[in-house]
Amino acid sequence: MTHIIGYYTTQFGELWEKSLFDLVEEAINGVLKQTSLSNKQIDAVFFGNMLAGVLENNLHSPSKIAEILKINIPIFRAEAACASGGAAFNLAKNYLDANSNKNVLVIGAEKMTDYSPEEAITALSAAASGEEQEAGLTFPGLYAMIANFYLEKYQYTEKNLAYVSVKNHYHGSLNEKAHFRKKISVEDVLKSPYVAYPLKVLDSSPISDGAAAVILTNNYDMIKKQKYSATVLASELITDTISLKERKNLDEILATKNAANMAFKKAKINRRDIGIAEVHDCFSIAEILAMEDLGFWKKGEGGKKIKEWGTMYGNGGDLIVNTSGGLKAAGHPVGATGIKQIGEIFLQLTKQAEKRQVKNVKYGLAHNVGGSGGTAVVTILGS
Amino acid sequence: MISPVKIWRRQKEIRKVLGKKGKVLAWTKIYTPGSDFKKYAPYPVVLVELKNKEKIYGQLVDYKNADLKVGSEVISILRKVRSSTNEGVIAYGVKFKPL
Repeated sequence: MTHIIGYYTTQFGELWEKSLFDLVEEAINGVLKQTSLSNKQIDAVFFGNMLAGVLENNLHSPSKIAEILKINIPIFRAEAACASGGAAFNLAKNYLDANSNKNVLVIGAEKMTDYSPEEAITALSAAASGEEQEAGLTFPGLYAMIANFYLEKYQYTEKNLAYVSVKNHYHGSLNEKAHFRKKISVEDVLKSPYVAYPLKVLDSSPISDGAAAVILTNNYDMIKKQKYSATVLASELITDTISLKERKNLDEILATKNAANMAFKKAKINRRDIGIAEVHDCFSIAEILAMEDLGFWKKGEGGKKIKEWGTMYGNGGDLIVNTSGGLKAAGHPVGATGIKQIGEIFLQLTKQAEKRQVKNVKYGLAHNVGGSGGTAVVTILGS
Repeated sequence: MISPVKIWRRQKEIRKVLGKKGKVLAWTKIYTPGSDFKKYAPYPVVLVELKNKEKIYGQLVDYKNADLKVGSEVISILRKVRSSTNEGVIAYGVKFKPL
């Protein structure tokens, strides 16, 4: 069985003094220190990153990581748009399933704020289909189409979506590493300008810099030596059409649904066993769809459920969602997000989540989406 | 990156879907576009189902706000779709206008 034995994340935000590989190096050194491992004890590395090739003309990042780590081992980069981190983790888990007694480092990182919003939006659009790009559809635009469809179908308004951001900003205020630490109100969300109707600035995750790393091992002597560890019960990655228009249902992310069903089957636990989840809230609508497609809420109920504040920290709910602040408040350095989500679940299960520590949680779930739903990764951890 | 060859290849496909009628399945209005679309913003984009059930995206032009709704009837037309490339080749593509 694979265990996570350490997690480190850099600050998320506009980090103008740091380059992509400054952030990668900080995350590597941070997680090695936490686990008291030396670079020579790492057997393989998986790196999640989307944009370095597009924005910075930097590819062949595995070799750059070898230079930083000063070792000669297998290193791979995984790219699956905003699910690049989750995909790297999934590959690392599969690598360990095929190789015994190994320690694997998984890093996710992205550097986005060196560029104008238009340049970053264009680069991110690389993960949309050619036709979507030609129509001028951005990712906010694709999720806005989904949101518009959902709100009309289930008779909700923009206000229903706003609750997601308010909750996640509150959680962000409790997380020192979050991009945004400011609490916001439903009115603040509704007053913010449109990015793509009906989604507004405060429905949307920001463009951020950051890196996050975890160490996975299936070496039992190593697990025994560590102060903290959590079990990886399942990690499932599923793909779907890149174009939103090719999907049967516009109000459902099928890849999420299928990955979740497989992950719960493998982990041999039920939805109600999960006490904590990090779900992919790149836009407010995305958290509502995630909660439905993961099977926590019924289809169409999300707009109503979110208004009950049950998934917010401190309200005594059975399932607390996005304690890190989610992508909305913690920030969304694309490649880092999937690792940060898993890291947050690790912190919660090992009782290191400080001000936002949820009590008595045994199982947690992380959900990472690429594009408008072309990739989904669902990971389940146990204490 | 957009190259003149890519535009040429794409345009052979575009002519097959011009002058087709369909209905809006979903829509949005983009306020913060990518670099190539900055001068058109804000602009609506619609997902249209044609009579033969084929689905196509395109910007909606010559519209009134009342046209921005699911079920609106539209027709596909040829329009310039993004800023020109450095080589000066104009990228034409599909847009829609209300019927």
